[in-house]
Amino acid sequence: MRIDSVELFDRLASAMNADTGRYELLGDIDLDLAVVMHRPDGDAFRVLLGFRGIECETVVSIEAGAEVAAECWVEGDVAHWQEMFDDIARHGHATGAWTLNTLTIMGDKIQLKAADPMGWDKFHRFNQTLQDFVDAAANVLDEEASNVSA
Amino acid sequence: MAISEEILADYPNLPEVSPIGVELDWAWLAGHESEWGVHPKPSARGLTLMDIAVGSYAEVPEHPKHRSMAARGADIADDTPDMGYILNKKSDVWSSNVSELYEEAVARQWSATRDIPWNQLEELSPDLEHAMCQLCTTLSEIEMIASDLPAKWMWRMNHEFLEAKMFLCTQIMDEARHSEVFRKRALANGGGLLKSRGGSETLLRTIIEAKTYTQATALLHLLGEGMILDLFRQGEAIAPTDVEKRIFRMCMQDEARHVAYGTMHIRHSVENDPDVAEEIHEALDHGEAAMLALGTAPDMSTALAMLLAGGADKIEEVGFPLQMQLGKNQLTSYLARCERAGVGRLERTTLPLAELGIEIEELRRGVGA
Repeated sequence: MRIDSVELFDRLASAMNADTGRYELLGDIDLDLAVVMHRPDGDAFRVLLGFRGIECETVVSIEAGAEVAAECWVEGDVAHWQEMFDDIARHGHATGAWTLNTLTIMGDKIQLKAADPMGWDKFHRFNQTLQDFVDAAANVLDEEASNVSA
Repeated sequence: MAISEEILADYPNLPEVSPIGVELDWAWLAGHESEWGVHPKPSARGLTLMDIAVGSYAEVPEHPKHRSMAARGADIADDTPDMGYILNKKSDVWSSNVSELYEEAVARQWSATRDIPWNQLEELSPDLEHAMCQLCTTLSEIEMIASDLPAKWMWRMNHEFLEAKMFLCTQIMDEARHSEVFRKRALANGGGLLKSRGGSETLLRTIIEAKTYTQATALLHLLGEGMILDLFRQGEAIAPTDVEKRIFRMCMQDEARHVAYGTMHIRHSVENDPDVAEEIHEALDHGEAAMLALGTAPDMSTALAMLLAGGADKIEEVGFPLQMQLGKNQLTSYLARCERAGVGRLERTTLPLAELGIEIEELRRGVGA
């Protein structure tokens, strides 16, 4: 499965929405977060994720520039996103320099951006939930690999 | 005192005197004149403060009539006693997001005992263990100020600003947990509590001795917790194991809520009384100097540099440059929040922007100032 696809984020949303026990423990989240992945050809994949309560209610592809309307967005080259998801797939969750917070605080591979500092802070208010959300890719990508090999 | 005809009409068998001879009027049976019959609807996540903010219950007065502990919206007797509150203007304590932040805080509580995978701690090299223990020693010390400070002011806040007081209660619990978790981490891996020197106490005293609550919250929420939020971000980034990563991430979430309250409280305060801005600036003038002293205090800064370097061997090549970069991030975030709060500091701050390579014009463009 390509990581620069709505399909992946749909699967991550489904994983979150099915795992109520985990996300209830982490608590409610209320955030519109965009993900931007720049492709080598100059194009970019953009998706808006709408988190409400303990669910990811919205996964929708957005136009160039529309990420600015989200409360915050995370942006980087698709190759770096791939490295992050590879680390998640390899270890079952992001490790070391590949967590969302570490990536965005270093800022050399993936940047956190927001039109409003309050949106920027929201990324941190819900950080553990967001980390668990992307960490679920370990299972999604593992299933995909199993399907491909089968 | 007698039972009103209106009540007797509905409940004709009510006694007029209690078994011990106290005269009864049953006045509460008449209900509240304006809002009886209101049925707030729970939202998907339950019955939130936002859901029950209906009709007059949603109205938070700018200048409450009473200074008692009576519930806002109740039928309050005229002779209710004055509790001696001194924060009686809504703009003294309010922020537009305070109900949402309270609900968020309640929903996202965690336990330093249960929710940290302590059994996954790994043995670290002595230099890294010492550095982590030093960082945790300092953090355990300074985190409690964010409990003490609201506790100092809460009993002086008019009770009609209930949601603000409730949110500050969650902050007090959050910060108690932070002191707990850093103390536990210092002890849990065979290390212990290390140095405590005067530098951090200077900042803490500046905060706790602020003359007004708005000055105090500017120092605590906007400056202190804003900087600590970025420190927690750094902590997560440099954490040697998943245990520390989890600790810093969970603390970071709490801290970001406190910063969100402070930023919007100051904005609300300044919008309602522009003269407050100068009061806040004066506090931040002193606070920034004290914060700089803490940030450059040898114990914490060297511990951070060692963690950033991954050990004692590459502090100058790796640790210090990374520390400079992260310091730049910290000041940039703080100054952006000041702009959002309506107390732009770009022209006034004495923080060492140039030394950290922060271009004031770039920053101005970034924050739209």
